[in-house]
Amino acid sequence: MTEIFDEHAATNFYFDRGFNTEAVKLLPGEYFVTSKDMMLVTVLGSCVAACIRDNYSGIGGMNHFMLPDAGGDPNSPLNASARYGTFAMEILINQLLKLGARRSNLEAKVFGGGNVIDGMTVTNVGQRNADFVLDFLKTEKIKVVAQDLVDVFPRKVYFFPKSSKVMVKKLKNIRNNEISAREKAYRKSLDKADTGGGDIELFS
Amino acid sequence: MAKTILAVDDSASIRQMVAFTLKGAGYEVIQAVDGEDALEKANKHTVNLVLTDINMPRMDGLKLLELLRKLSNYKTVPILMLTTESGDDIKAKGRAAGATGWLVKPFDPKRLLEVIAKVIG
Repeated sequence: MTEIFDEHAATNFYFDRGFNTEAVKLLPGEYFVTSKDMMLVTVLGSCVAACIRDNYSGIGGMNHFMLPDAGGDPNSPLNASARYGTFAMEILINQLLKLGARRSNLEAKVFGGGNVIDGMTVTNVGQRNADFVLDFLKTEKIKVVAQDLVDVFPRKVYFFPKSSKVMVKKLKNIRNNEISAREKAYRKSLDKADTGGGDIELFS
Repeated sequence: MAKTILAVDDSASIRQMVAFTLKGAGYEVIQAVDGEDALEKANKHTVNLVLTDINMPRMDGLKLLELLRKLSNYKTVPILMLTTESGDDIKAKGRAAGATGWLVKPFDPKRLLEVIAKVIG
């Protein structure tokens, strides 16, 4: 039952010859934080990625997630999908703080939420993900310094936390079957998972 | 009289969700943004239960727990940790420092209320 909540650190490291830098690729449900000069890469369909960094120290990180369609009242603060999204964001922020980032220095660049998955256009998953991430950052008073959200194209995002630079490539010409299939599988794993929360233990 | 819960989290989103849950169940809620803020509020108010995050700026939840347990009026008040941390080591640390229970985020509102009712009911 904890599978859904097991947001994990990306482990797909490689050396990017094009950019001549150490890099890590994030898959759906993953996050990565670093204080090193390196590149974080991800490909987004209807998922969103928040690139958050301490604008003083350059400690930064990225996540890649979507909200599960958990039903219930979408406007309730207790809606299960909002709780999951909040959790995905908190994991990233906590890891940044652990590396030494200061909450008051955090700023964000947010991407994704494209309306790209076949069969998902009715509920407009991308828009929902984009709205969530902007709402969350507003509540947390984390400034959004750049964004490229919604629309109909998948995006490849290159984030350089040290310099804060982000490059976004809109994938207009490639067939997005692979992105679509990956996101569908991720979404399915979220929908199937138990939304009953994490483990509880009483000591006494 | 309604029981009072001190809810501590540096994330405004989590504070909102927790407060909404607790108020809906009839509890009075005092919110604090980190350990220092919580300690100050714990000294000022009579609190029946503390529900605290761990990873927070200025003073984290474990330090808060440790300092609260040194106060004579917080020796037996239930203190629940609500955290993304689930490692055995940190859990053991919390237990040794006097935590009443450990809840791993994300929280389920219904189960959170059940646990609270159990420890202060």
